[in-house]
Amino acid sequence: MISKTIVANLPHGRISEATRRRTIILGTAAILLVLVGGATTPGFLTLDNLLIVIRAASITGIVALGMSYVTISGNLFALSAEELAVLSACVFAWLMRSHYDLATGLVLTLLFAGCAGSIQGAIVAKGADPIITTLAFGALFRGLASLVSNNKNILLETDAAQWLGTGRPLGIPTQSWAFAILTIAGWFVLQRTRFGRRLLLTGANRHAAAATGLPVGQASLIALTLLGLCCGIAGISAASQFGLAVANLFTGLNVDVIAAVLVGGISLRGGLGTPLQAALGAIFIALLENYMLLHSFTSGQRMLVVGCLVAAATLGFHVIQRRRA
Amino acid sequence: MNRREIMIDLGMRIALMAAVYAVFAMMLPSYRTVSGAAALLDGAVLVGVVALGVGITMLAGEFDLSVGSLAAVVGVLTVNMIIAGMNVAPAVLIAILAAAIFGGLQGLVIAVTGINSLAFTIGTLICLRGFALIISNENSVTIPIPRFGETDFLAARILGVLSPMSITMFSIFALGFLFLNYTVWGREIYAIGGGRAEARAAGVSTIKPLVIAFAISGALAGLGGALSSVRLGSATPLGFDTLLLSVVTACLIGGVSLEGGRGTVLGIFCGLLTLRILVGGVSSLGAPYWLQSLAIGALLILAILVQMLINIMRRNASGARARPQPG
Repeated sequence: MISKTIVANLPHGRISEATRRRTIILGTAAILLVLVGGATTPGFLTLDNLLIVIRAASITGIVALGMSYVTISGNLFALSAEELAVLSACVFAWLMRSHYDLATGLVLTLLFAGCAGSIQGAIVAKGADPIITTLAFGALFRGLASLVSNNKNILLETDAAQWLGTGRPLGIPTQSWAFAILTIAGWFVLQRTRFGRRLLLTGANRHAAAATGLPVGQASLIALTLLGLCCGIAGISAASQFGLAVANLFTGLNVDVIAAVLVGGISLRGGLGTPLQAALGAIFIALLENYMLLHSFTSGQRMLVVGCLVAAATLGFHVIQRRRA
Repeated sequence: MNRREIMIDLGMRIALMAAVYAVFAMMLPSYRTVSGAAALLDGAVLVGVVALGVGITMLAGEFDLSVGSLAAVVGVLTVNMIIAGMNVAPAVLIAILAAAIFGGLQGLVIAVTGINSLAFTIGTLICLRGFALIISNENSVTIPIPRFGETDFLAARILGVLSPMSITMFSIFALGFLFLNYTVWGREIYAIGGGRAEARAAGVSTIKPLVIAFAISGALAGLGGALSSVRLGSATPLGFDTLLLSVVTACLIGGVSLEGGRGTVLGIFCGLLTLRILVGGVSSLGAPYWLQSLAIGALLILAILVQMLINIMRRNASGARARPQPG
């Protein structure tokens, strides 16, 4: 009973206030960037270009939603997201080439990705370090992806899945639909369900959560499973879009995803943040990248700016948090 | 851990290394020759020096993710200075000094603000990669062919086994051992890693040890990047992207704990050689290069599971001792 009271009261204190403030800061910054960019850059503030930005943010964003659960559950980051997405793409492509029908391919790939996530989650729940565990599994997944694909392209050899990667219902790409729907779902689960509140409490203070009788390991297990599913979706989406999977897909995705979570202002201490912040972080970075592309920055210059943004955002949010605490 | 426990722990790690070596030596005749051993040592230099630096930040209870990008920057910087007409030795030294200063500044920011080093070094990792792309014009940079002779000394052999590269690695590990065990600064790094609040209560400042730990990590990442780029004659801005995995694996098999304060230089050296013997062995047996990450991942997962098992057993043992004896 005690645990229920604490959990039920959790989102009304300082935690939700800080989260709301950060979401507003980030939203304002994104709108400012759109306005300033639109005023100074021809072709920036057009519907077509903004759709391109959202599409560019979608894959990173979907995985960042899963990553936000890992961070909020108090497990810092997973360094295996990129590798699991690649492996899922290879598994999906292999299933499609082996003439399974689309539904079977989707279910099996997602099941595989979920299991791959929950194995890591189970080990982390037993007390292993999340960074090291996911680094190890990332290496394993990358190796397996090379093994499955024999380090060559796996062609899907069917266009059954093509719509998943290239369709545009109502003019908006499927990836962006998935991104939007998952953002709302992720936000709802964390803020409005008992499981979400447990996750927040466990992330905020593991010992207090254990003392009130909450299943502490469960939070890590489910967070990493959800990340696994997000990686599976990313993998399926990319494999369907390109009609093939290859072991060097998604290069740099881990860093992009973590950058989105950090720019979104999700605290590494855990228990503070929502998936919406990760989504906004991904969109903000995509907007900035697009703005720099239109101003023909080189890739090195773009990386330097994004890196400085990540470091500055992390420092800024950290200092604000310390001052208020 | 007391001295006896450290010795037992180290003994187990050496036994693991010997076992891995024995398995591969049975299958690979080249492993039983002097030149084979020399090749193993030479291949361990890059990961070894960087692993020592990252290991020292782990001992301090922090984690430096930016080493791969920093090594790439230093590699490009060194080659650029050589192209500009500088001699090899001063170019390498200046680049390492720059890396050390960068690392120290990073440590200063982390120590003063108390920010999570994982988060901050992800930011600098991206920045440095961008910087490497900018200073290299997004292309590989190469030492001019007429000056290749200046770098030949790195391939020389001394006593058949040692090369200037591996001698550098051995000296760095010896210095690291002396520094961590016999200097106040080294002991302070252990102290703030083992328990930051207790260390502060005992009057140890956290700022100085963190600056030193990150400066060392930066300098050694720089040393690794500079040495391997000079040896290769070229540097690419996107290089060293898988370095972190090998480095962390070496530290972890060597018994460095991410919680800080636990681990030894000799342990890291054992972990490094175990990793090197395994990876070298797998590729000598004819496995394609992309299977390396499978082997490293499997080894690392094994290390994590064994560590978990030991922790559980230790907890049970101490629980049994705490219980009152029957009768």
